[in-house]
Amino acid sequence: MIEATKLTKIYKKGTPHEVVAASDVNIKVDDGAIVALRGPSGCGKTTVLSMLGLILTPTEGKILIDEEDATAYSDYWKTLYRRQNIGFIFQHINLLPGYTALENVLIPLLCRDEDVSRYKSRALELFQRLNVIKRGDSPVEQLSGGEQQRVAIVRALVKDPKVILADEPTVFVDEETHDLIREMFVELNREEGKSVVVSTHDPELASIAEKVYRLTAGKVTSVTSK
Amino acid sequence: MLRKHKNLFFYSLDCLKKYKMRTIVVFVVFTFAVAMLSSVLFVKDGLEREAALSVVKAPDITVQYLKAGRIASIPLDYSEKVTHLDGVVEVRPRIWGYVGVGAYTFTVVGLDLSSDRLPTGLESEMDEGRFLSAYDAGSGRVVVGPLLAGMLQLHVNDTVVFLSESAKAHTFAVVGIFSGESSIYTADLIVMSIQDARNFFEIPQEYVTDLMVYVDPEAPIDNVAAKIVTLPNTRVLTQDLLIRGFKTAYAARGGIFTTIWTILLAAVTLIAFSQAIIVGVQSRFEVGLLKTFGFTTLDIIEIRLIESLILGVFTASLGMIIGVVYSAFFNAPGLSQILLGWAFLPSEFKMPTHMSYISIFSIYTVTVIPLLFATIVPAWLNAITDPDLAMRRATA
Repeated sequence: MIEATKLTKIYKKGTPHEVVAASDVNIKVDDGAIVALRGPSGCGKTTVLSMLGLILTPTEGKILIDEEDATAYSDYWKTLYRRQNIGFIFQHINLLPGYTALENVLIPLLCRDEDVSRYKSRALELFQRLNVIKRGDSPVEQLSGGEQQRVAIVRALVKDPKVILADEPTVFVDEETHDLIREMFVELNREEGKSVVVSTHDPELASIAEKVYRLTAGKVTSVTSK
Repeated sequence: MLRKHKNLFFYSLDCLKKYKMRTIVVFVVFTFAVAMLSSVLFVKDGLEREAALSVVKAPDITVQYLKAGRIASIPLDYSEKVTHLDGVVEVRPRIWGYVGVGAYTFTVVGLDLSSDRLPTGLESEMDEGRFLSAYDAGSGRVVVGPLLAGMLQLHVNDTVVFLSESAKAHTFAVVGIFSGESSIYTADLIVMSIQDARNFFEIPQEYVTDLMVYVDPEAPIDNVAAKIVTLPNTRVLTQDLLIRGFKTAYAARGGIFTTIWTILLAAVTLIAFSQAIIVGVQSRFEVGLLKTFGFTTLDIIEIRLIESLILGVFTASLGMIIGVVYSAFFNAPGLSQILLGWAFLPSEFKMPTHMSYISIFSIYTVTVIPLLFATIVPAWLNAITDPDLAMRRATA
């Protein structure tokens, strides 16, 4: 379980350009739950998601992981936690240029003391599932936006994480890919028990969530549960 | 744990390919700078080594005569005076000077061939023919170095004519040719008997150029030298002093070049830094992303360390190989004249090149360490930043 209490993030604090991106945000993600963060662009969804994924240190507040205060832990601990437990899907996809789709998928595994080729079959299985199996050996620059997003999803899932944090995963994709991604999240949650936290302003994608947090100007303005 | 390091190693290799422009710029510029720096250092090392080896062939102490503060011919009766000093085993007079052949100058050394003690090692450095013996005293026979032999196409039993300062022609018969084209000591040498040298340089019977003093191995050379210098008008040169003199001369000339090349290398380092900044945005984003995936700060540093080490060690090694080829095979054109201070080096002269451990270590140090800093420090700074911020800053 991941629980955020009074999470606040202020960029450039104490300067004339200070920006309060999140303020007193309380969020609870139970194991095996799908949670959505909704709101317009610039409302702080990405910031909250980054803090939940331990890649952004909150200015104030705590992230409790299984009731332990992860914000108090070292950078090393947080890194290892991410390595083992979190799969990120970024709004801007963030594939590394100069590599093929399959290489991009395997890069996150290089920091493990394992032979990454062991994960190749799982990667190909996920490629198949997301309909990009023919693009595995293609340089990522040659893929369409939708294909790139699907490769990025495979990259997040290949290490079999417990938690998937997806930031606007459908914003740049076509309708077909949109449906594919949504169905995949549901399947991963139901069949593999993965927790999914998705930030979106897409009501259709948000509809798969058991709990929807609506953010406005960095604050949680409503929480809806199914 | 080995598997992970292997993974990171191959990822580092990929990074070298990925940041192609930075790799090529650093590779070309560093290789060029190291080639230049190493050629100076290796030639300087070679000259110092040659000088040290040459001095071994010199007597324990050389005694010169000073008159009005300048070196003059020494009266032969000084030989007697020095012989009687404690610790002195033998004193041998020597006459030496220079002779011009064409545009070049050669060193003529006249030895007292009656003595049992011949110059250490000289007899064993023959490429052709033999060294002089007591029977050659005053016979007009000479042993020449490879430079003169090469220039005049001399062989044993050939005759050679030298013009003295009074424009008299002196004919000599070549009985031997020194080997070792790279030996500075023998390269430009013409050895003859002291009688022939006296005749050639027209030095009066009661004078010689200097005295070669051999000291009892049990006696400290400095003590004997201190006794000799108490004789009026004398100046003594021990082997240590000669070595220091050679080293100072070459080190000073080499030092100028080393300074120039070090400045060049500093410029190169700046280029490496600028390249690091150019790829910095991409690299910063990559570091943030890798951290998100679960790469630790140490993993990131390891990747950049491997990249820099491969690039640095490879460019330094290649630069050194080019430096050696330039010095040893192409005779260091442009550099040899400046380092040796001779404007009359015949083309037959082969530049002595020696790679000392200190020079190799210095080159690797001045190449690899700046490169490590140029790549690791920015990577470390990015790695200790929140991954989200590192990626945002890179894309901002």
